[in-house]
Amino acid sequence: MKDNQDILLTIAATLRSFLDPLLGQPDAVDVAMYGVGLAVILGIIFGNAVILVWAERKVAGYMQSRPGPNRVGPIGLLQTVADTIKLITKEDIRPKGVDRWVWFLAPVVLFVPTLAAYAVFPFSDGLIAVDLNIGLFYFLAIASTVTIPFLMAGWASNNKYSLLGGMRSVAQMVSYEIPLVFSLVGVVMLVGSLKMSSIVEAQSGIWFVFLQPVAFLIYVIAATAETNRTPFDLVEGESEIVAGPMTEYSGMKWSLFFLAEYANLFAVSAIATTVFLGGWQPLPMPGALGEMLAAIPGWIWFAAKTYFMIFLFMWFRWTFPRFRVDQLMAFGWKVLLPLALANILVTGVGIYAYRMAIGG
Amino acid sequence: MLGKGLLTGMAVTLREMFRKNVTEEYPEVQPDLGERFRGGRLELNVSKCIACGLCMTNCPNGSIKLTTVKDENNKRQLNTYVHNTGLCLFCNLCIEACPPKCIEWSKEFAYSGYSRDALIFDCMALDKQQSAEDKSQTTEEKG
Ligand code: SF4
Ligand code: SF4
Repeated sequence: MKDNQDILLTIAATLRSFLDPLLGQPDAVDVAMYGVGLAVILGIIFGNAVILVWAERKVAGYMQSRPGPNRVGPIGLLQTVADTIKLITKEDIRPKGVDRWVWFLAPVVLFVPTLAAYAVFPFSDGLIAVDLNIGLFYFLAIASTVTIPFLMAGWASNNKYSLLGGMRSVAQMVSYEIPLVFSLVGVVMLVGSLKMSSIVEAQSGIWFVFLQPVAFLIYVIAATAETNRTPFDLVEGESEIVAGPMTEYSGMKWSLFFLAEYANLFAVSAIATTVFLGGWQPLPMPGALGEMLAAIPGWIWFAAKTYFMIFLFMWFRWTFPRFRVDQLMAFGWKVLLPLALANILVTGVGIYAYRMAIGG
Repeated sequence: MLGKGLLTGMAVTLREMFRKNVTEEYPEVQPDLGERFRGGRLELNVSKCIACGLCMTNCPNGSIKLTTVKDENNKRQLNTYVHNTGLCLFCNLCIEACPPKCIEWSKEFAYSGYSRDALIFDCMALDKQQSAEDKSQTTEEKG
């Protein structure tokens, strides 16, 4: 651990030392600390969703030469709060003939893995809920389950258009999951570990975005598709399939879909930061400037990079028109996947050549 | 180059982001209506009107209804003058037809109502009100 301890770590340590005499047993303290961690992660997810919904509208507005939300609160800051209140107080409609349990569980099942994925994000040096040895693998495994609730929602709605929408979104997510995973393999080969903290530490010299530019590009494209954002927002496709699998949802259930969407956006951006942009590491600069940048706490670096990635995704959304479904499939399977595989091959050969060169 | 179009598009949206917004924030900032704006109410100058009824006969939609009376000099005088903006096409034919040019468009466009009756305006009453307001204003200015 670093000498200049993070303020957040200090807070955690203080909390622990406060709980220690209170609870007595170390196990109980651990459980309590996990509870606190869960609360913090929930706070991050909800807080982020509120900020991101506002930010997205602002970005959309400015990109279209209009001010965006500006009525509720200063510069529209309370707009999302107002929207949330509206959503909570809205009637929760359950159409006739839905498959009750599947229908009810779909938004919940969608939200839970998203929440679970946050456990392995290295927000800063040592600031990670659980630093698993297989952190990246865990994230990918968890993240890939989000296809199931979409199918559940589409199927349980008892509406053929929702069902088609659900199938479509599953087809899209499965197709883009593969290049997404393969784009990360190159980095894992370089690091030789799936542990999040090791991946970040390996980038203290040079960020992997420079060593693996193709992988980064593939990741960004596949992540856009995974989060169902334009130009791959066929899941929503307002004009074509209304709202795909979530057509029949309203009120709080619908907002869970929405919340998961923004939580996912943050998640893929956080992974991009961790894997390609050096995570909590400061911008590598020589001399005094480098020292100054290094003094900024890691979680600020992490947040800044993650928000930069989120901005990138928003920028895509308000620039590119939507894909057609056959183009989407063809692009995923015929372009991204071979490219990702080629990247793995080149990385492998590169590593081998490098070893030969230094090994003599 | 592959993907050049995408980058160009992104450059355009980024540039827009830092440009000035073109939105008019309506209730606070009133729009600058052009010279030839049509769409308000008809503003009638009762004292200039010769009660010829040309505006009514020219209206293709029958949205102007006026009645006249003869005064002691056997001269026609306006009795009632009603403009139904709910029927109006805003074609401007009434204004063009008026010989003494005593009707014109008001710049007031936000007069929606909850019933159709709210769209029917008694122009004579409005003119009276208007001139009364004008008078009080001028006296205020004088005083
Ligand atoms: S603008 Fe046309 S429709 Fe309206 S009152 Fe005049 S003549 Fe009639
Ligand atoms: S055309 Fe003009 S002068 Fe004639 S009745 Fe109409 S408003 Fe009066």
